[in-house]
Amino acid sequence: MSKEAQMRAAINQKLIEMGERERLKELLRAKLVECGWRDQLKAHCKDVIREKGLEHVTVEDLVTEITPKGRALVPDSVKKELLQRIRAFLAQHSAL
Amino acid sequence: MSPAGCAHVNGYKVDNWKQNLRVIYQCFVWSGTAETRRRKAKSCICHMCGAHLNRLHSCLYCVFFGCFAKKHIHEHAKTKRHNLAIDLLYGGIYCFVCQDYIYDKDMEQIAKEEQRKAWKLQGSVPHMFTLHQCSLGVGEKFSTWEPTKRELELLRHNPKRRKITSNCTIGLRGLINLGNTCFMNCIVQALTHTPLLRDFFLSDRHKCEMQSNSCLVCEMSQLFQEFYSGHRSPHIPFRLLHLVWTHARHLAGYEQQDAHEFLIAALDVLHRHCKGDDNGKKANNPNHCNCIIDQIFTGGLQSDVTCQVCHGVSTTIDPFWDISLDLPGSSTPFWPLSPGSDGTTVNGESHLTGSTTLTDCLRRFTRPEHLGSSAKIKCGGCHSYQESTKQLTMKKLPIVACFHLKRFEHSAKLRRKITTYVSFPLELDMTPFMASSKESRMNGQYQQTVDVLNNDNKYSLFAVVNHQGTLESGHYTSFIRQHRDQWFKCDDAIITKASIKDVLDSEGYLLFYHKQFLEYE
Repeated sequence: MSKEAQMRAAINQKLIEMGERERLKELLRAKLVECGWRDQLKAHCKDVIREKGLEHVTVEDLVTEITPKGRALVPDSVKKELLQRIRAFLAQHSAL
Repeated sequence: MSPAGCAHVNGYKVDNWKQNLRVIYQCFVWSGTAETRRRKAKSCICHMCGAHLNRLHSCLYCVFFGCFAKKHIHEHAKTKRHNLAIDLLYGGIYCFVCQDYIYDKDMEQIAKEEQRKAWKLQGSVPHMFTLHQCSLGVGEKFSTWEPTKRELELLRHNPKRRKITSNCTIGLRGLINLGNTCFMNCIVQALTHTPLLRDFFLSDRHKCEMQSNSCLVCEMSQLFQEFYSGHRSPHIPFRLLHLVWTHARHLAGYEQQDAHEFLIAALDVLHRHCKGDDNGKKANNPNHCNCIIDQIFTGGLQSDVTCQVCHGVSTTIDPFWDISLDLPGSSTPFWPLSPGSDGTTVNGESHLTGSTTLTDCLRRFTRPEHLGSSAKIKCGGCHSYQESTKQLTMKKLPIVACFHLKRFEHSAKLRRKITTYVSFPLELDMTPFMASSKESRMNGQYQQTVDVLNNDNKYSLFAVVNHQGTLESGHYTSFIRQHRDQWFKCDDAIITKASIKDVLDSEGYLLFYHKQFLEYE
């Protein structure tokens, strides 16, 4: 594993251990609902389902269709805030 | 994608499968305790490539974690013929034969329970890191309502549905006069049409902690049930009257009482009886209660006493439930104000020649008053008694502001009713009367341009209580607002539709205003 991947894994572990990952998830969830991201993607999901037909669509289809759009639509402010939180967390638990 | 899952799940449901599944949820999906979190952190990586991202799944038949995105778990499923896996991020169960996520009722039930358990645990863990107070101590995680068997039964047996249309009269009901009880009826009409109070009671938020049957809040709750029951016949509030007599002796008896006194007494008793609803705060500090009455009606009135010698200001802030305003024509001198004397027309009130407006009364209420030489105050700066001026302003506005026009004069010389017409607006902006506005005025910003963007201090009229007659014999009626722009006149048992003009032309005794915009604290 590359050095970067190792660091990622280590950070992830720390986040899970301290329960911070769950908190960040909830924060992100709330922010994405507030800014309308969730509704946008929900609408997109409905379009995909309509296209593929309700009987034949699988979760995989939706994931493949939605993921790129979802990633692109996250507002910069939300990304910034999450990043800030993670940085602050790492600063506090600097034994990393 | 049927709720019965797929046939392949049955192969899994043998022996102690429920317990095994629970363990998987507790340890690897929703880890509640510190120990399980540590284990999850260390072990949740792909057994093939070591990555922790890529939608990690766990095999349900053996201990194997694999990436979904990179198909590592798919390989495992094929070679080992283990057809079921669980998504470690969201807890969904995937069947490799059906090639889709399946929703088995029993498994869903287990998943929900484990998630709830983990949430509760995480809520109570003290965490040292608090950059934002975004703690998971928010109580239970929101989940959409799913009806139980009993609830489905009830819904099927009661197919009638109630729909609120714009001409629906639900919430309107007359009140029988039990002998000069119109003063009580008017206040009840105003309270049952206070939106936040209505929402509180209709969501069953009162948890009674009183042992006896004499809780006024419970009775209010009952009253709301009566008003919103859809019955059109007038309600007989005998229980309410009895409770009021029990808890506010000074109002007992069959004589006509003052509606304003009743309002204050009622709010006081309700506030005292709200013991269970404020999380014990009342016990600690009676002035900082968090009960629904305080949340809705309590504002803060700032009183500044300025020493005329050293100009030191002594400030106190007192809680209030209503603002009592003096009227011109009373024995206390009313500061003569010509309409629009500031050069601004506030609140769009009609300035008929010579008529007083509510804003005039408020301006008088908040003007600096020179306390004469016979009322010297001990000044902390000068350490002696000095002449001073006193000024009242609003520090904190309540969500519902009640204005009491002091029409009943009970001075030593005479007892009479002041019938001066006071015009009041439908929409009221309290900004000029705020403590913060006064500060900016003192700092030289005299020209108060009405800040259109600041919505915090804007109020809308929603109830008016009127008194007809004299001090000796009179009758109370009220106007209340329904569905945003419909007004109704409540005369004891008789409810009639009224126009906005009727409301604004009425004399006005108690005026109830509701904040237009509610913000989070």
